[in-house]
Amino acid sequence: MRISVYRFNPDTDTKPRMQDYEVKTFQGMMLRDALLEVKKQDESFSFRHSCGEGVCGSDGVNANGTNVLACITPISELKTPIQVRPLPGRPVIRDLVVDMTQFYEQYRAVKPYLVRKDPLPEQEIPQSPADRDKLDGLYECILCGCCSTACPSFWWNPDKFHGPAALLQSWRFLADSRDQATEERLDALEGPYKLFRCHSIMNCVEVCPKGLNPTRAIGHIKELMLDKGL
Amino acid sequence: MSRQASGLMAWLIQRATAVYLAFFLVYVLIHFTLNAPADHAALSAWATRPWVALGLMLFVPVLLAHAWVGIRDVLIDYVHALGARIGLMLLFGFVFIASGLWALKAIITAGLGG
Repeated sequence: MRISVYRFNPDTDTKPRMQDYEVKTFQGMMLRDALLEVKKQDESFSFRHSCGEGVCGSDGVNANGTNVLACITPISELKTPIQVRPLPGRPVIRDLVVDMTQFYEQYRAVKPYLVRKDPLPEQEIPQSPADRDKLDGLYECILCGCCSTACPSFWWNPDKFHGPAALLQSWRFLADSRDQATEERLDALEGPYKLFRCHSIMNCVEVCPKGLNPTRAIGHIKELMLDKGL
Repeated sequence: MSRQASGLMAWLIQRATAVYLAFFLVYVLIHFTLNAPADHAALSAWATRPWVALGLMLFVPVLLAHAWVGIRDVLIDYVHALGARIGLMLLFGFVFIASGLWALKAIITAGLGG
């Protein structure tokens, strides 16, 4: 099978190029296996990967124009020759390795942790099963970055717009019955940029390897803002 | 604690105006499909019916508010140089206000039989 991968080494190259490789396939082969095969043939090729089973979120790449997690994308689902590029909109460090700093900064900005004002109890903070169910579809995010790097609004304003991944986490803590910083969280999202650059394009929903729905979470945040603000 | 600023309010205005625009445009579309005015006099007569005139007078500012939020979104997304963005915002602002005033004048003039 022919696979064409994006190559760029800022130390030696003036511009990026696509390089073709022939790899042997096997049944159940994932895109990550194909990239490892390329790496075997050409040691200078770089890409991130770790767990190999869609848990760590390291190997987000753009395959045939769609952001995917390479380790859980069967090559049988991809049209050949497979074109593999780095996640779009991010500065390329080398080959498929991109700089995700802004993505993590946006994640950090939404305070992705429980904020308590009451004194912490000796043991755990109890939560009803119904309240716990509200976190389903939110906590599963592995921060692979497929969604935010597929979002045109994040491409244009990655320094100011939080992006789908961070906003999904923002709602994850707004929706948590144990969190006590709702007002502060909503206030921090005001203005035209952090939340409201979302135009419901829904690329994030389409590409999320975990099947999560950041657009719906963003809608919930807007509803809560209306509820508390009007 | 005010959330009346540029984010939520702009979004709300865009959604609310969209509802009115959708209803009014559907009415206009149906009217012009089933009962299209034959000439200018018929169009004038339609536009000066009190309810239609009121609908049109409301339509102009609602459309402009909707368009303003939309064009502001486009400029915030794509035009990052501050000078260019402010310049374009002023340009669109003036064009929108001028078009609005002109449209209102046309509706009022038609109503006065001009």
